[in-house]
Amino acid sequence: MSTMIPTMRHVRGFDLARPLSIGMLVFMMLPLVFLPLLSIFIFGTSKGLSSFWSALTAADAIFALKLSMVTSFWATVFNVLFGLFAAYVLSRHNFWGRNALIVTISLPTAIPTAVAGVALLMLWGPYGMLGRLLRPQGIEVMFTASAIVLANIFVTFPLAFGVIKPVFDTMSRSLEEASATIGATRWQTFWHVTLPSLRGAIVSGALLTFARAIGEFGSTIMVSGNLAGRTQTAPLYIFAKFNEGQIEAANAIAIVLALFSFLIFSVLFFARDWLDVD
Amino acid sequence: MRKRTLNKSLGAYAALLVFILFVSSCLPKPTTETGGLNITLYGFSIMKESLEKAIYPGFIAKWKQEHGQEVRFTSSFAGSETVTNQILQGVPADIAILSIDRDAQRLKDNGFVTSDWHTLPYKGIVNKTPFVILVKGANPKGIHDFPDLAKPGVKLIHPDPVSSGGAQWSILAIYGSELVKSEKQSGEPDRARALQMVQAIWKNVFVTPASAREARTTFELGNGDALVTYELEGLLMKESGKPVEIIVPQATIFSEHPVVVIDRNVSAEKRPIVDAFVQYLWSDEAQQAFVKYHFYSVTNNAFNEANKEFGHIEMPFSIDYFGGWNKAYPEVIEQIFKNKVQNRK
Repeated sequence: MSTMIPTMRHVRGFDLARPLSIGMLVFMMLPLVFLPLLSIFIFGTSKGLSSFWSALTAADAIFALKLSMVTSFWATVFNVLFGLFAAYVLSRHNFWGRNALIVTISLPTAIPTAVAGVALLMLWGPYGMLGRLLRPQGIEVMFTASAIVLANIFVTFPLAFGVIKPVFDTMSRSLEEASATIGATRWQTFWHVTLPSLRGAIVSGALLTFARAIGEFGSTIMVSGNLAGRTQTAPLYIFAKFNEGQIEAANAIAIVLALFSFLIFSVLFFARDWLDVD
Repeated sequence: MRKRTLNKSLGAYAALLVFILFVSSCLPKPTTETGGLNITLYGFSIMKESLEKAIYPGFIAKWKQEHGQEVRFTSSFAGSETVTNQILQGVPADIAILSIDRDAQRLKDNGFVTSDWHTLPYKGIVNKTPFVILVKGANPKGIHDFPDLAKPGVKLIHPDPVSSGGAQWSILAIYGSELVKSEKQSGEPDRARALQMVQAIWKNVFVTPASAREARTTFELGNGDALVTYELEGLLMKESGKPVEIIVPQATIFSEHPVVVIDRNVSAEKRPIVDAFVQYLWSDEAQQAFVKYHFYSVTNNAFNEANKEFGHIEMPFSIDYFGGWNKAYPEVIEQIFKNKVQNRK
């Protein structure tokens, strides 16, 4: 099991470095991670559990959470399929411009999310290159749920690819070759041999993408229209409530998102060992 | 061998999980129906309470009684400039209530508004409120008028004039206040003194939130010593029991807020109800509701006099003092504020 930690054999007796370094780590994380998270929980429940619950069950809050889930789900589905395909093409074929493609796929990580929002508006908006053509057909993309999915796809584009590609690269090709020699088609080889060894990477890639998409704010606020109960995602709802001075309502939803991320990364941590095929 | 079965059951779980996600993956139902009788209103930040708590319910009841139809409202609130930019980008707004006339003009210049809102009652202005200074409970920094904001060590929260209409009103309030006062003293408005005052005060600004409402939230969380904002914001804070003192300057501006119909987005079938709603804003019922939520009425001063919480302003002035927004924006916001205050090296 990969969680087994090798112990240091050369230290005899009580090792002072052990409690010190662990204590140091926790201490450093305190003001940077633990306390900010704690303050969300404290502020979110400061007016009692009943007002926390009513903040959570407000119709617009529930809608915002659902909308975030759904738009993140579709962005994840797309990006995992795309990441799989891109990793396959880029690790199996060598061609001119291959590196340029790899760099381009990774680019959205470094682009500010507000820029991503502006870019989508410039493309799909009423005056955009594609928007201008679609509008006369009665197709509106911006300020709908589709716009949120597009924004999520853009900002999480490299994540699944980034997890899947290294596994492709290091995969032993002898199994695939063996499969081919006993008469399997390319598709059969992919389905029965290649894909199973990617299971772990696919699940990690999907969870990472989903977790990142559900918290997306910068691009969503530009492309969604931010209408409560129609196009307002959970992070936008939090921001709107904060702006209105309703700190408890904002924190109540923030707690849900924080717990959700905790859940996702726990699954990620524990599922990895089960899914990884050695 | 054990690993194999584990993998299989895990696969089944994963499949189940994907299935559940798939089933739940259709879009959630909007909390308001998106039928023909849904009015979408984009408002600048401080319009939220009065609209949602009084004006919408009042109009819904009135329309139901007169026409037997259910009307629904959907709205979004942000800084006035932000709202205007969202509409210019194509959000499906039917009506906008903006902080400044210039934003209404921008919508018109870009073809989103084709009618002239100045021909509506009261030149399209639905309500007004003066600009004041908010300080913490006991006023520890001794702030009594705009010039005190320039004192060294005062930390001032001021919304960002790029995104907030209220921030532009605030600049006009500070600049105009000095003009009005110097004019009273010497008969001649002293532009150099007014410019120096805005420059000195701007040095003490340490954060520029995107809207008046965001600025208030920043202030409420304990940041800064003072905030220049709509009187309404101070009264709302007092109402919710926050420790705040409202400082009414000797001379200050009344901000006036226009309503515009986004003609380009309003369908012919929706037009009558949109127009009816806009007219309703000047009804006694709506104007009294605005006063209840701390705005001044524009139609009937008796409503305002009945409200004892409004502060007394010695020398009030309005945008007309600058010759309207057509002059105030280029001459004060651009030439004075942007060129000589913000971009000063």
